[in-house]
Amino acid sequence: MNWLMTQIRKEEWSPYVAGALLGIVGILTVVVAHQLLGASGGFENLAAYIGKVISPNNVYFGFMMKPEITYPVILLVGIFFGGMLGSLSSGTFKFRTMDSEQWKSAYGKQTWKRWLLLFVGGIVVEFAAGIAGGCTSGLAISGGMLLAPAAFLFIGGMFASGIGTALLVYGKKY
Amino acid sequence: MTYIYALVLGVLFGVALNKAGLTKYHKIANQFRLTDFTVLKFMMTALVVTMLGVYPLRAMGLITFPAIPETYVVGNLVGGLIFGVGMAGAGFCPGTAVAGAGEGKLDYIVPGLLGFLVGGVIFGLTYQSFMPQLKAIGNFGSVVIPDLWHISPYLAIFVFALMALVLFYLIDRMGMHRKEKKG
Repeated sequence: MNWLMTQIRKEEWSPYVAGALLGIVGILTVVVAHQLLGASGGFENLAAYIGKVISPNNVYFGFMMKPEITYPVILLVGIFFGGMLGSLSSGTFKFRTMDSEQWKSAYGKQTWKRWLLLFVGGIVVEFAAGIAGGCTSGLAISGGMLLAPAAFLFIGGMFASGIGTALLVYGKKY
Repeated sequence: MTYIYALVLGVLFGVALNKAGLTKYHKIANQFRLTDFTVLKFMMTALVVTMLGVYPLRAMGLITFPAIPETYVVGNLVGGLIFGVGMAGAGFCPGTAVAGAGEGKLDYIVPGLLGFLVGGVIFGLTYQSFMPQLKAIGNFGSVVIPDLWHISPYLAIFVFALMALVLFYLIDRMGMHRKEKKG
């Protein structure tokens, strides 16, 4: 029991243990809820509330991703509290505006710059997930587990351009 | 009831992301610098476990696949290529940003989540202008590799699991990762 508590309180687990946990969650999602894991889809449902106001006759928000509190939206709420629970268990929960030393050495220490880049990064990532048909969870994991070719095409593209981007960002420090 | 499942499973998902350390910028950035393979280990382990779960469960008639992500070769690949730029540059993806937001990271809560919303709005508003055409290129529909190539799913899973194990061995035992340069 003490051993278990010590493990739970650790800030980081082996990626194999955490990955196996995600795997079990992925299976349970199909078994109990007849759904797939995903994160970007929920954001599209939420974006639809704004999109509908800007363009009331939009086909995508009218028929494909409607402004609704769907399963993926609730899943996002769960992920949020899961992150909170995880950080509380290790005592690392803390309100902060920027906490990465490595980010500072790569991009500079200005907070506004990080906030701007995360905003732009968020737009790029969500837009790309829309094109691909899902993100790291909704397409790579959920599609990959079903052996859908889409997932492996996405993963290949993601790693190729990710490595290229890191090369550009880090330059000589890559 | 489904919402309760969503909430509970979401919490476990968030805990997994938090405990894997993937809510931290350096974990994601360093995967693409090839100095830290947490992302790959986490993803491939999850994939092997899920594959070993869903295919046997379906063969036993206990589940059906809820949906199969559509394969449209160019779109999946181009989407992945753009996604990688954002993920490596910002050091997050939608799931890890939401879990990180729950840890109290205000930079994930405010600009991060707003960025996803704006990205979603832009995608939806521009959908009709390019997505139907893009999805038509190399479209195989909602297909899985075993059906496409007429092979046993278990053979495909075995090959993938073997690939994962060889990769894990090379990374952990042979030190196949790059050493981080200090500077």
